[in-house]
This record gives sequence, structure tokens and C-alpha cells, in this order.
Amino acid sequence: MTAARARLAVPLLAGALALALLLATAKGSVALPFAGVLQALAAKLGLSAGETSLDATGQTILFTVRLPRVLLAALVGGGLAVVGAVLQSVFRNPLADTGLLGVGAGASLGAVLAVHAGLASAVFFALPLAAFAGALSAVLAVYFVAGASGRTSLHGLLLTGIAVSALAGALTSVMLVATEEFRVKTVLFWLAGGLEGRGWTHVQAAAVFVLSGVSLLVLLGRPIDVLSLGEEEAASLGLPVRATRLGLLGLAALVSGAATAAAGSVPFVGLMAPHALRPIVGPLSRRLLPAAFLGGALLVVLADLGTRTLSAHYELPLGALTACVGAPYFLLALRANEGRG
Amino acid sequence: MSAREVLLSARGLAVERGSRRVLSDVSLELRKAEALVVVGPNAAGKSTLVRALAGLLDPAAGEVRLLDRALPDWPRDARARALALVSSEEEGPDALSVAERVGLGRYPHRGPFQAMADADDTAIARAIEQTGIAALAGRRLGTLSAGERQLATLARGLAQEPRVLLLDEPAAHLDIGHQLQLFRTLDEVRGRGVGVLAVVHDLARAAQWAERMLLVAGGRIAAEGEPGAVLESAAAQDAFGVSIRGVAIADGGERAWRFEERPRG
Repeated sequence: MTAARARLAVPLLAGALALALLLATAKGSVALPFAGVLQALAAKLGLSAGETSLDATGQTILFTVRLPRVLLAALVGGGLAVVGAVLQSVFRNPLADTGLLGVGAGASLGAVLAVHAGLASAVFFALPLAAFAGALSAVLAVYFVAGASGRTSLHGLLLTGIAVSALAGALTSVMLVATEEFRVKTVLFWLAGGLEGRGWTHVQAAAVFVLSGVSLLVLLGRPIDVLSLGEEEAASLGLPVRATRLGLLGLAALVSGAATAAAGSVPFVGLMAPHALRPIVGPLSRRLLPAAFLGGALLVVLADLGTRTLSAHYELPLGALTACVGAPYFLLALRANEGRG
Repeated sequence: MSAREVLLSARGLAVERGSRRVLSDVSLELRKAEALVVVGPNAAGKSTLVRALAGLLDPAAGEVRLLDRALPDWPRDARARALALVSSEEEGPDALSVAERVGLGRYPHRGPFQAMADADDTAIARAIEQTGIAALAGRRLGTLSAGERQLATLARGLAQEPRVLLLDEPAAHLDIGHQLQLFRTLDEVRGRGVGVLAVVHDLARAAQWAERMLLVAGGRIAAEGEPGAVLESAAAQDAFGVSIRGVAIADGGERAWRFEERPRG
């Protein structure tokens, strides 16, 4: 039926992502010629003799500013989309997402605490780890409150997520007031989400956590699918339900923590990418998660390009941009979901 | 009949939900190829019994033995290869296709990482064929009727290729044609030696299909034996609060059943 479409989805998404990556590296306040970018990249990868039409400034922009930023956008988007898809299976709800479940707010709080304590600049992995701790606390709080009965209704889930988000947000505001002035701008910037000024160290930190977490989640695709059948059926099929669920939530928190540490809060990506791709590739995780990774990466690479090019005067906040697209998308999806009863 | 191997047995089984005892002192045996039906009024403890037999609820007292080994001693995956539970309450995610749902029944055989083999494809195809849902194999669960979803859940249970099949109201949403198909499928499965225990609401249908009937009332087994005899017992009439009468139909020993309200005292 949709087998052909499902098989085509991943190569098509990969192709689109490659084009978007190229476009996003070339475009910006200073435009670089496509040919020059391609030549320079080929030379860097050892694919060509090293001839490039890009001048020294162009090369500096490409390799120290654009490329790390664009790759980071892809990692953040891909990671968040995979986490969204996993949360949707674990909570058995097609509209679950990091933002709606308070995971984003928890990760932000963790990261703000790290910045406040001055840890973020002192210890290399402190920021992603603090964001991870915050994300984990939030997801566990939602899991134990909304999921205590084993069956999570959409309403219970969203309301618990709102409460957890509000609490984390409140604590974040308190921290903000207490934070030394020179750090406030960092914190604020990061709450709105963005990739401004991110370099290779950020890419490394994000890549370690996002790629390892996503790989493990893809490997665990079959247990994720069994879990999506519901607690009772999963248990009757021999799955250790509690341990699996906690392990998956831990990995989800790790990945979303790393993504939040890198880019701040980037809402709705985890909802949109899997939601749009599930009808095409189906809900089985081994196929959905890789497709969602590519789709989420594509989305955030384009959104980040938008933040740099939509306004001639300011760089727009990345999280605000994804929210402007994602919130209406969520409302439409919610309506469709409620309509089916 | 009594010579057949016992596949599943319970001795003095009791289950508590919170501090309330919902099942007390239940003992039963399910034999190879047997058709055992469990009936009882609402909230009698039938579903609890099935879940305890499947190992999903820990008993407060007594024990369940599967193939002569205590249930808690079974590794999870081996238990799921020996015993399958099909409940009418289970509903997979809407986006899952029927074939994918049935395929997840192979999880106990392949675990998280092993690739699917020919034996899996054969089991999946046979389960889909037997439940008569071949035409629906590519459809997503969200587009199916409640009855069709139920058949897909049954097919998942068959794909597990268990030796014991437990069903909780498998016919709840099925129209008459699908009901007949369901019980014919269960008989085919029994033909391969699988012991089948089913909770069935429709008493006449239950009596027609089963070799043996258990009446559960107030969390205990109130009567047990040949279906007709159980239905006509005083225990059954008290449990349901109705009068039950079998009327012999001309050919053979088959009976039609008449149910009438009894004035409540």
C-alpha cells in the first residue's frame, strides 16, 4: 500500500536535508557562492585537490561560523524529533512532545542553574548534563503523576505537563532575578532558543549525547513498538514494562537535555516531524525514528536559516520561529485528534 | 478427556486489589486442546482471574502453574511463548497496520534485536488467514471497526503460537458472522493442541462452544462442569438473578436457552 512511499521517504528526506544544509551554509548576512562552498567542503573532506573560489574570509565564515551552526541545528532538530516520537509511543499519545510535557522547561531550568552557578563556563559537559538532569526530573514528574494509573489520557498528560512547565518556569524566573547581570543576557537568549555564536565545541558536546542517544533509541525500536500497545499487552508479550519505560524516558531526557543545552528551548519540533511523517512511514520505530531524525533536522536547519535571513536588522529567536509554525500545527492536529473522538 | 495433559492450573488462587479481595480460593485446570469457558455476572472477578492466570497480577495467595512450572519461575519471554492473552480492551495505536500489529506477536520469539525469520512470516500469515482478516492486513487500526480491531488482537495472540490461549470477552464487539468465525478459529487452534480459556458474556454461545464451563460469582467459582448443567444450576440462576432453562432442539442433544427475569426479593 504505502510501502513504496515509506521506502522513498528516507532517501528523499536525506536529499532534502543535504540541500537545506548547503543552502543554510551559503546564506546569511554574508552570502557565500554555492560553488565555492561545495569546493571548500570537498577540499576539507579530502575529496578534491583543494582548489576553491572562496577567499580566506569566506572560508573563515564557512568553517568557524556557518558550518558548526548548521550542523548543530541539524543535531538539535533531529534529536528533538526522535525524542518526540519516542514520547508519543511511551505515553501512547500522538500529541506528546518535549515542550508540552514540561521536558523543555525542565531542561531550561537545569541549564539556567548551571549558568547561574558559573558551572557552564567552567566544566565542559556541565551544561548538557545539567539540562539532562532538569529534563529527566520533568519527565519523571509527568510520568509518575499523569502515568500513575498506567494509562495516560491526553488531558491528564497535557495538564500535568502544563503544571510541571509552570513550576520549572517559575523557578527559572527566580533564578533569573538572582543571576548576576552579565549572565542574564545569556540566560534570556537561551530561553528563547537560538544558535547564535555556537561553535565546534557545542557541536561536539551535542553530537556525543544526541547521536549516541538516538542510536540507542533506534536500536530499541521493537521494545518501543511493543510498549505502544499498552502496559498490559506489552507485559503479556514478555516485555519488562517498567524498566523499559524508565530506560526510554532516561534516553529521551538525555537527548532533549543535550539539544536544549545547545540551542535553548526549541518547541514543537518533536511534535511536528513525527506527526507529519507517521502517516507516510508508519508508526514502527525502526522506520519512524530515522525518518523523524531527518525531518526534524530539516525543520530546524530551515528555521535557523529563517532566523538569520527573515529580518534584515535582527536575528530572530529560533524557538519563537518554531513556535509560530508549531503552535498552529498543534492546534490543527489537536482538532483532528479530538474530532475522531 | 481427563487423560489429556494439564497445561495450566491454579490452586487456591486469591487476588487483592488494594485491600479488597476480588478473587478467593480459585482452583482450576485447563487441559490440552480443551475449550473452557468462564461466565459470570458483571464485576464477578472474571477479568481479574484471566489476568492472574496470565501472570499480570500477583496473587495474594495460592499459585498458578503453567506446563507444571510455577508462573513466577518462568522467564518473561518463555512465558509469552507458552501463553497468550487476548483482551477486548486492548487497542493498538491508530497508525499501526493490522499486519504490523500481528507481527508484534512475534516479540516473545525474537526479542528486541533478532531479525525476523521465515518462521515468523509464516506464523503471522497464518494468524491473519485464520482470523479472516487477510483483506484488512494493510489497513491502519484507526480505520477499522471495533470488531475488526478485536480480530486483529486475536491474530496477534495466534501469532505468538502459544500452548495456552486466554481470552477476555473476545466476542464483545463482533457481529454474528464474525462470532461464528471466531469460535471456529478457536476450534482450529484447539485442533493443534492449544488449550483455550475464554471469558464469554453470551451464555448461550458459551454453552454451545465450550466443553466445560466455570461460573465465577463474587470472586469465587460457584459452579463447574458440563455447560448445560452449570447454566441450569441454582448457583447460575442466583448469580445472574434470572431463571435459565434449556429447551431441547429436535436434532441431537443441542439445546436452546431461555432466560427470564426473576422477581427480585
